[in-house]
Amino acid sequence: MKLLTHNLLTSHVRGLRPGGGYPLGIQATEVKLSPVDFNAQFVARMVPKVQWAALLQAAQSLGHGSDLPPEPAPGYESDEDFLRRLHHVLLEVEVVEGILRCPDSGHEFPITKGIPNMLLAEEET
Amino acid sequence: MADLEVDSAHQENLKLSKMKKKVLRKQIKAQRTLMRHEGIECISHTTQNLVVANGGLGNGVSRHQLLRLVEECGLVEALLMPPNKPYSFVKYGTTEEAKKAYDALNGKELILEDTSHTVILYVNFVRKVHWEDIMPTNLPPGLKVVDELVSPEEETMMLESINWTGDEVIQNAQKSLKHRRVEHFGYEFRYDNNNVDKDKPLPGGIPEICNMLLEKCLRQGYIKHKPDQLTVNQYEPGQGIPPHIDTHSAFEDEILSLSLGAEIVMDFKHPDGCTVAVMLPRRSLLVMAGESRYLWSHGITPRKFDIVQASEGQKVGTITADTGDLTLNKRGTRTSFTFRKVRRSPCNCTYPSVCDSQQDQQKERTPMFTGNETVAAKLEQEYVHKVYEEIAVHFSSTRHSPWPKIVEFLRALPEGSIVADVGCGNGKYLGINKGLHMVGCDRSKNLVDICGEKECEAFVCDALSVPIRSGSCDACISIAVIHHFSTAERRLATLRELARLLRPGGKALIYVWAMEQEYNNQKSKYLKEKKAKKGKEKEIDTGVTQRPVSDQTPDNSTQDLTVSDGVLNDFEDKGSIAKQVINSSLPVHTNRTSFHSQDLLVPWHFKGGTKKKEESITTLQLPSGSNKLQELSPVFHRYYHVFCEGELEAACKTLDGIRIQRSYYDQGNWCVVLERQ
Repeated sequence: MKLLTHNLLTSHVRGLRPGGGYPLGIQATEVKLSPVDFNAQFVARMVPKVQWAALLQAAQSLGHGSDLPPEPAPGYESDEDFLRRLHHVLLEVEVVEGILRCPDSGHEFPITKGIPNMLLAEEET
Repeated sequence: MADLEVDSAHQENLKLSKMKKKVLRKQIKAQRTLMRHEGIECISHTTQNLVVANGGLGNGVSRHQLLRLVEECGLVEALLMPPNKPYSFVKYGTTEEAKKAYDALNGKELILEDTSHTVILYVNFVRKVHWEDIMPTNLPPGLKVVDELVSPEEETMMLESINWTGDEVIQNAQKSLKHRRVEHFGYEFRYDNNNVDKDKPLPGGIPEICNMLLEKCLRQGYIKHKPDQLTVNQYEPGQGIPPHIDTHSAFEDEILSLSLGAEIVMDFKHPDGCTVAVMLPRRSLLVMAGESRYLWSHGITPRKFDIVQASEGQKVGTITADTGDLTLNKRGTRTSFTFRKVRRSPCNCTYPSVCDSQQDQQKERTPMFTGNETVAAKLEQEYVHKVYEEIAVHFSSTRHSPWPKIVEFLRALPEGSIVADVGCGNGKYLGINKGLHMVGCDRSKNLVDICGEKECEAFVCDALSVPIRSGSCDACISIAVIHHFSTAERRLATLRELARLLRPGGKALIYVWAMEQEYNNQKSKYLKEKKAKKGKEKEIDTGVTQRPVSDQTPDNSTQDLTVSDGVLNDFEDKGSIAKQVINSSLPVHTNRTSFHSQDLLVPWHFKGGTKKKEESITTLQLPSGSNKLQELSPVFHRYYHVFCEGELEAACKTLDGIRIQRSYYDQGNWCVVLERQ
């Protein structure tokens, strides 16, 4: 699971407050780095789409927090250094084994072989 | 030298007996498939009658080719080739000739004339065949035409008895020059709502002159109850009636129509586009019941000539498309007496898509089963989720050709788009456009694992509740997913989820299986014959082939079409509520044929090693008396709700903030592109 994907995921446990369940906390037991070709335009386009605070938090929990500024600075589109670091965090850091935790309910969703299982108990049987 | 000769002769013998064993194996397999899927019993003693598996119209063997072959073995009394079936019946004059044919044709390789593909015939003896039962009439199911129900004298009397009171049907005020004359008895039929005023019977009821013929119809079993409504219609040359289905809620099942004064051709049409032209001779009775009454529409084209068969004169029956044999028949004035019984309770037929009673009920959004969400969820658990988990690997191997229009949609998206594939299956579409960030999700862990193996981003979830934050996707796709949900409510809920994921301006592409597998006279690839790979043996294609489902683009690495014999291993757990409900109400579909019901179970013949304990072994008694162990592969049933034209659109129209950008039909699917406002 890449962090760009994680940024989209939210807890859908029933009965959460509006806007609750996001972002999911990451507790990783295995992380891998997978090289991905850098595409500046692609990465720049991601900036307005990601929830920055959630991304920061996720990056920090995996030890990559210092790679990113607290906010994207104006003119980021042409800041290659920034874009490359963002590229790395969004697309090259992958959680292989671990847990995603709902911040409101504490519910834990397992990640196995890079695949989060977001099924709730009532959905399963 | 001598040693070598003996050796090679020995080798030849070995080879022969190996081949013989193989033929025997496949012959037995054919027997069992014929029994299981067609109810045809093969016997071990000789008779005059043979069934030739793989020698049918349904698998590309022409009558001309097969006839030549079977005539070589003896005098052929009859060759019966049911349409769309992968087998035929041959009756010989004597059992000796039949035995000769059996020896000559069993295991025989045949190169099909039209396609140059090869099939292998497997022949078995059968008992006496009731040709009438098996001979396809080609008439819509439930339709009967009875010749000469009344005598010419009775016809004259009936025609003279009509007192035309000047009622006319104004069919199409601008277009028709003349109006059709009509009289009603028993109850007034209303043309504004195509129903009857059930509370306002007309005085007099049905004229006495009709009693005798109605008694006859009751006796013969054409109707179960005496009709209480009669409509007399007079069609002059050039007049007709538009195609329609008699309102379900207005009348009971059987509808009788007597044709007096002249013959006419009536057109029947099935929702999937199939049309059948039926000749109604003068003084004949048309009985419409079951499917022909509830599902097929009927109509009379307004014209002065009908096209009929020239040879043998046109008798009762369908008018075939054999263009070498057609001629024009000038119309006369035909008066029809249509007898119906007014219905007093809502219709509960098995054709809900065309049933006004059930459509009204559905509008109240009741789930499919009188019950609740739990039953719906249980049904889906048994007949969708469990099945996909079991067949995941096999399923994935058959799902590798992306469909062009979907690829087009994905390629047209701007670089850097975030796209969700809800119900991604094996991730077929996740890698199509590398300029996107695509995330797939599916209910089946095993299928999602396959996505993971392909290094795609994917997770497991239920489409009813997608754990992606609202408005975060530039686009989403959902291909062949929503038709697995068993209630209209649940299907709508999945649509709402897709809409929720989209940012304003975002687009969703949705594909669902269509009820209409033939559209604009084009059969979908699902219905068309699958072509066997050149040189590969084509096993008996019973019409219940494996991999029936939506992977309908040319599948270049199609595996051979071996049908695994199926043991319905999903009926072990008798205690399951879902199964009890389903056993009684869901039809099992025959693969590669048209859909006759919107809610059904579609078989999947599993191929490949199953890791589970469900492999069952059974002993089989061979004609020769020896025992043999046979391994059977399971058949799984998946639940589908196939959509009618307009159904998907109608559901999408109810979504807030969503506009339907495009709506189309693609190879047996109804498709929409939605845009979030």
